Amino acid sequence: MSNITEAGLATGYARAASRQPALVTGTDLLVIGAFVLVVLTMPWWLVLIAGYEALATKIVIWAIFALGFDILLGFTGYLSFGHAAFFGSAAYITGLSLKHLTSDIVPAMAISFAGLFVIALVIGVLTLRRSGIYFSILTLAFAEMAHALILSSTLQAWTGGDNGLTGLPTPTLLGSPMRGLTVFYFASAFLVAGFIAALVIRRSPFGLMLRAIKENPMRLEYTGVNVFAYKMSAFVISAMYAGIAGSLTVIYEPYVATEYIYWSTSGEVVIMSVIGGVGTLIGPILGAGFMLYFENVIQGFIGEQWKLVLGLIFVFMVIFLPGGFVDLARQIWRSLGHRIRARRYNVPDMAPEADEDRLRRRLDREEAEAR
Amino acid sequence: MTAMKTPILEVRGVSKSFGGLRALNDVNLTVQEGSIHAIIGPNGAGKSTLLNVLIGLIEADEGTITYAGERIRGLSPHTIIQKGIARVFQTPQIFPGLTLVENVAIAALAKRDGQFGLRILESLRPGHPVMAEAEEHLVDVGLAGHLRSEAQHLSRGDKRRLELALCLAARPRLLLLDEPTAGMSRHDTNSTIELLKHLSRKGMTKIVIEHDMHVVFSLSERITVLAQGTVIAEGAPQEVRGNPRVQEAYLGGAHT
Ligand SMILES: Nc1ncnc2c1ncn2[C@@H]1O[C@H](COP(=O)(O)OP(=O)(O)O)[C@@H](O)[C@H]1O
Ligand SMILES: [Mg+2]
Repeated sequence: MSNITEAGLATGYARAASRQPALVTGTDLLVIGAFVLVVLTMPWWLVLIAGYEALATKIVIWAIFALGFDILLGFTGYLSFGHAAFFGSAAYITGLSLKHLTSDIVPAMAISFAGLFVIALVIGVLTLRRSGIYFSILTLAFAEMAHALILSSTLQAWTGGDNGLTGLPTPTLLGSPMRGLTVFYFASAFLVAGFIAALVIRRSPFGLMLRAIKENPMRLEYTGVNVFAYKMSAFVISAMYAGIAGSLTVIYEPYVATEYIYWSTSGEVVIMSVIGGVGTLIGPILGAGFMLYFENVIQGFIGEQWKLVLGLIFVFMVIFLPGGFVDLARQIWRSLGHRIRARRYNVPDMAPEADEDRLRRRLDREEAEAR
Repeated sequence: MTAMKTPILEVRGVSKSFGGLRALNDVNLTVQEGSIHAIIGPNGAGKSTLLNVLIGLIEADEGTITYAGERIRGLSPHTIIQKGIARVFQTPQIFPGLTLVENVAIAALAKRDGQFGLRILESLRPGHPVMAEAEEHLVDVGLAGHLRSEAQHLSRGDKRRLELALCLAARPRLLLLDEPTAGMSRHDTNSTIELLKHLSRKGMTKIVIEHDMHVVFSLSERITVLAQGTVIAEGAPQEVRGNPRVQEAYLGGAHT
């Protein structure tokens, strides 16, 4: 620490007037451009690999869900097992609006958005007081309650109970019915906007606070930051992504299945995130694509044992590639001889430091015994 | 230091028990603005607990805590910290998976934006004023060489420096340091002392818990001695050094 000088300290804070960097760089534009290209051409290239057009729409919808899930899990480290509550509620609210109020998708989605905001706030306030496994269990409990509510005899007249919500009109957008590629492009617009928003959030002061929650919430609180308010914001943002995905599902298929609000839906988004790479944003999107492709295309090739194979893949990934597809890509990239920017901190004198710690602990212990 | 300064912190009759253990027993403490105030005492005396009570990490059973003329007992920790207090913990508390610059930037942002801000349309890339400020604080504590490596790879002594840089970035009026030089070499300890003295000349008040008597006597203007949760002595370094109760309870013969 010999370089502490009066001069060094005196110049401190003087540079605070420097200009802020641009929000989006050239590299970002390349990444976003490539993303848009791959997404918008999906209905065609998916057919080349034995897929079908409508599957592209489904993948885009679940990609939005998984992307939003990553804003909560990947940034703050909070693992929700109840995101089906948001996906499902939004689907039901959108479906009910279409059925009883308007067949236009814009007001139906707006109503669903507002309703979901309130639902997310309430569930957030009740679950975010706890962290770790307790938070996960609480979110699961609330989602199960929501599921039970949907099926309850009181609400059955509205929700259709076990049968799900049926008899919905084909939603319209500015007067024309939404079908086929229109639905795909409508959903893709949300995915692209959601992806850009997530990239911007990640590098913003807000995003840094979210990542700090995952690293050390106690340090954050004792740095003067209202940790709860940030957690709450991440939770609501994540729920809104899930809600958009839920609404879009109703356009994709004018019907709401009870399974949308069931725990299996929560579980699926968790698996997508883990398989793709938690905290990488692009990973969960890839995970969603992989899962749906597997369920809808590969299934046809391997027959009824497909769930077993999928389970094995999941186990394999978690054991050997906990960083998911994104980590796999990084490792391949590295093995091809490319260098990945080293982030290791070189500590040549680690050993004496450790000795010092050990000595200190021994002295502390002796002192304690002497008392 | 003249006696007529206004106190920035006044602790009156604070007690705290953990089950049957009385960790703090009717503690009084007055800290003058701009001074360096040391708290010493044997292990388990209640020094860290006293700091915990000050920042709301632990709620006191009784007593009042007045900071800058305002009662702060019972407020949430981030509210207390936002009033201008920063704390270096006994076990370094940092953000292990974030880079050094990001670690320090968090504190600078907490100072700039307060306890919460939905700041999304801003990009924290190199060159951002907050990042530049964070880098300067890292230079001040001697960590200029590793700005963009992850904090978890630092040695224990360097984690301590990082935490100090983080606290300085909050530009506190009152800085609480819990054994800031523990685990540092003699050379690093000396430069830390220099840094702390320098900051005091700029008007920052400090409460330092220290085991190293060399640090205590070269740094502090007043010393409070705690033993088993009770203040057994208080005064200028020379008075405390000569106090027989202190010699008996803590200093022994070795340090005099
Ligand atoms: N959160 C806690 N719960 C129970 N006991 C505690 C807690 N914090 C401290 N103590 C006890 O209070 C006493 C004072 O601890 P501490 O303030 O850490 O001492 P010091 O910092 O002076 O070494 C010790 O006996 C310690 O075991
Ligand atoms: Mg202690």
